Amino acid sequence: MKRGCLVLIALAVLFGACAKKEERVYATPDYPTWRKTTDTVLDYPIPGHMDRLRVPRMNAIGFSVAPTLVGGKLHWDFPEGTVIVKEVYARPKPAPGEGPIQLTIMVKAPKDPRSQGGWLWLTRDLPDGKEQVFMGNYCVTCHSNANEGHPYFDRNQNLEFRDYVYFVPLDAAARAR
Amino acid sequence: MGNRRALSLTVKINLIIVIALAVGIGAALGALATSLISAYNRKTQQGVFENANILFTAIESVMIPGQAPLAVTTLANVSIRTPGTFISLYRRDGTLAFSDNKTIETVNANLNMRRFQPQDRPVSAPATPPKRFMESAQTPPNELFFRDDVGGRAFFHAYRPLINLPKCTVCHGADHTVRGVIDIRTDISDDVRTTSLALAGTGAGFVIVVGLLALVIGSFLRNVVLDPVQSIGKLCMDVTAGHFEGRVNLRTRDEIGNLARTVNTMVEGLHERFELTKYVSAGTIGSLRAGQEPRRVKRILFFTDVRGFTSYTEKHGPEQVVVVLNRILDEQSRIIHECGGDIDKFVGDEVFAVFTGDDGARRSCRAALAIVGLCASKAEEFDNLNVGIGITDGMVIHGMVGSARRADFTMIGDPVNTASRLCSLAKGGQILVSTTMRNAAVPEFSFAGPYSAKLKGKVEPQKVWFLRAESGRKS
Repeated sequence: MKRGCLVLIALAVLFGACAKKEERVYATPDYPTWRKTTDTVLDYPIPGHMDRLRVPRMNAIGFSVAPTLVGGKLHWDFPEGTVIVKEVYARPKPAPGEGPIQLTIMVKAPKDPRSQGGWLWLTRDLPDGKEQVFMGNYCVTCHSNANEGHPYFDRNQNLEFRDYVYFVPLDAAARAR
Repeated sequence: MGNRRALSLTVKINLIIVIALAVGIGAALGALATSLISAYNRKTQQGVFENANILFTAIESVMIPGQAPLAVTTLANVSIRTPGTFISLYRRDGTLAFSDNKTIETVNANLNMRRFQPQDRPVSAPATPPKRFMESAQTPPNELFFRDDVGGRAFFHAYRPLINLPKCTVCHGADHTVRGVIDIRTDISDDVRTTSLALAGTGAGFVIVVGLLALVIGSFLRNVVLDPVQSIGKLCMDVTAGHFEGRVNLRTRDEIGNLARTVNTMVEGLHERFELTKYVSAGTIGSLRAGQEPRRVKRILFFTDVRGFTSYTEKHGPEQVVVVLNRILDEQSRIIHECGGDIDKFVGDEVFAVFTGDDGARRSCRAALAIVGLCASKAEEFDNLNVGIGITDGMVIHGMVGSARRADFTMIGDPVNTASRLCSLAKGGQILVSTTMRNAAVPEFSFAGPYSAKLKGKVEPQKVWFLRAESGRKS
């Protein structure tokens, strides 16, 4: 009896150790209700996504960002917990009711050892639904261009550090100024 | 199968030593060498990888829009100033960048102006993309770090894709994600050679160490154990073959030395016992082996006695007496043994022998005739001494006779007395046998008789026969 209990405990410990750790979901089911980071229709071709329609949304934490003035320039540092979900559609002009084929997700988590530039870079392939951290530097390299001059949005002509985000909330910028 | 040659103890022990050393030290040394070489390789790889990162960061920083010539110069300078490091920039289709004016033409077209002037460059683009290039240039792009051995040299390749950043799209267009791939190639042949030499050196050192250790241990064991054991074994074989002169010459005070001394003592004892067996009949020895219980057996009793010996001893010196007597006894002994008889004892000039077996009568008669014949032929050598022989058969008691301190295994019974009396009755050159003996030996032997003879101890006269010759032979 005692031996049986020990075996059961050992098996439970073993299964517990082997059990797959449940991955946290950052693009929570309510993400479609989050505010878009831009009203611009992002259907023009860009490297990485080509001419697929992109719809970026950010959670409320992200919109609470308060850029600071450093050397006459705004310095953006999104608060920890900021989540930006970019819906990627199959085509530039999807049909009504057509859903995205992929979500690319930025999560501000500078303490996470997997973070690059203070962000976790994730993808969620649909309809699979699993979010995976992208461990290459492809995403962060491309987004690093947001911190210097680029051809999108306001082109970051002031060469502000924008924390790897191309479409920063301009109302926050106005408040800072 | 049966012809398999047995390995000697020396070979077996040396084999065990070599195998134990090879497996034991080899495993430890192998693990150590593998660990060290693995650490060295890892360190080399890490160094090359970090070097590639630094170089890539430096190159990336000079990839300023509109400053391609600066990038070209940087690549060339790094390759020149860093021996063993080669940097190549490939377009996303695998062709070598700056090898032609294709990029300049594309940029001018995208800018809708002739911003850059085409250069007069030789076309040196490779016909095919470099190895594993497309794995790196695909979307999403991959950084690759791998080893490639070409033409006897080893290289580490660090493929770093150049992403078409938004800022680059103005000139290069937005229709692609990867602009090209930088290949930072490092020649690690010297490191590989160093590792191989270290491995070979370790292996050679191992073989030498194992060989030397095997030699030393083998030599020590041979001197301390094997040679003494072999000496003891050889002595035992000599003793088995009847040679008791040898001894194990070992002066060590260890267990082997003690064993050798014990064996030497044992051989001395065996030698003494062996010498003693000359004075004991084979029947006695056989009886000792079979057990010392007395038993009744059928035997042929064979007595010889030298005639006129008492007067001979009175006329000759003791040395001559002993020499001649021994000569006669020795010849008789030889003949009796050759005929399968066993000498029970010598009593002065008298021989008491015993024959056994179904053909014992025939063999005893042949021995008697041979002895008489020999005495006749060697009369001069035997100083004209001759023997009389008496033979009979019958049931006798074979057992230990005597005291607890000194005893003989011998035959007792009436046939023994009868044979002795027949011998006493026979004159020199005569062979007297009993009727039962005669009946057992005919027709192979011819006899004369019967004659009536009064034997000492017998009330009635006994019939006796003279053995003349073997049938078909002249007496």
